[in-house]
Amino acid sequence: MTAINVLIVFYSRRGKSEALALAAGVGAIQARANVRLRRLPDLADPETIQSDAAWSENVERMSKDYIAPREEDAQWADVLILSAPPDRTEEMEQYLDSARDVIQGRTGVVLGTFAAKAAVVGVTVALPTDDAGDAAAATAYARRTVEAVRAAKTGAAGAP
Amino acid sequence: MITIRRSEERGHFDRGWLNTYHTFSFGSYSDQAHAGFRALHVLNDDRIAPGRGFGAHGHRDMEIFTYVLEGGLAHNDSTGERHVLKPNEIQAMSAGTGVIHSEFNASQTEPVHLLQIWILPAAEDVPPRYQQFAYDPSEKQGRLRLLVGPDPDPPEPAAFIHQDARAYASVLAPGKTLEQPIVPGRHAWVHCANGNITLNGHALKGGDGAAVSGERALMLAGCGPSGGELLLIDLA
Repeated sequence: MTAINVLIVFYSRRGKSEALALAAGVGAIQARANVRLRRLPDLADPETIQSDAAWSENVERMSKDYIAPREEDAQWADVLILSAPPDRTEEMEQYLDSARDVIQGRTGVVLGTFAAKAAVVGVTVALPTDDAGDAAAATAYARRTVEAVRAAKTGAAGAP
Repeated sequence: MITIRRSEERGHFDRGWLNTYHTFSFGSYSDQAHAGFRALHVLNDDRIAPGRGFGAHGHRDMEIFTYVLEGGLAHNDSTGERHVLKPNEIQAMSAGTGVIHSEFNASQTEPVHLLQIWILPAAEDVPPRYQQFAYDPSEKQGRLRLLVGPDPDPPEPAAFIHQDARAYASVLAPGKTLEQPIVPGRHAWVHCANGNITLNGHALKGGDGAAVSGERALMLAGCGPSGGELLLIDLA
């Protein structure tokens, strides 16, 4: 079976976008991909985070569970899973801009409202068949995307 | 036949935050002569510094159980399970179709010492499952306390795994002996977790393991100044 590497990059404050990223990550694992999980750091200042109990508590946990994406992670990846809250896409947009040279041409599973931005920096956005705002749909969306990328990669490798 | 795997011969990495010994090949440690035993795939002896641990990562098609010797291990996973695992508790996870989890030392001040055991499943693509329960420490004093096994109705509360393998824990005081018959054709792995024991006359210290095949019984005894703690894994 052709190995497929999936980089999961998300931004989350209270855990909802993290949960969607994890659900999609499980879909990638279901499709027998290798996964790396990375959280984008907050752009907000520490005082703002500290003033919100749920946010600061989650940041403390997530800062242990995840490191920030590195350039080598994007280089390693065949597929990107990208997740950010619908009302907060600044962190993700900054990441897409900064990683643009490495991520262009990669297939992306987009969980959020930044699909146009992802397309602008050269990510090939895989189309969800239904609303990927729910965990089960995110799992299916990622699984199907990994399977399609594997089929394409296997076909390309097998071509004369 | 009993083949001893000495503690000091295991793969060893001290990364500062993690001091780990691999009985079998694991990650960057590859040893073809020690690449598992029967369905037993991984046996890692980990000491994790306060507040540190393994960030979020995925597993597929593996039965993973964890035995904490000292301290507490915090577990978070993609099924929403969030728990702290302590001594005299058993945690088993069937990764099946896919799980993402993280494991951290739950304390900011004390280290955690644990054994993590991976068993190859008999069936792939099973639904992910997480189990954790506590037992009374007296239940492993001088006897084999079943921790995990494939039996739907075990003789004592134990975690279910998708493999014909059973793991037991035991604490043997100095001079305390225990005999466990082995069903003909089956095999066993004995891991001395702490202290000193003997296995059919062979001395095992903390971290030593032994592959057992073609034997009719295991004769286990606690020895040394304070006896020993062991895991026994019965394998097809």
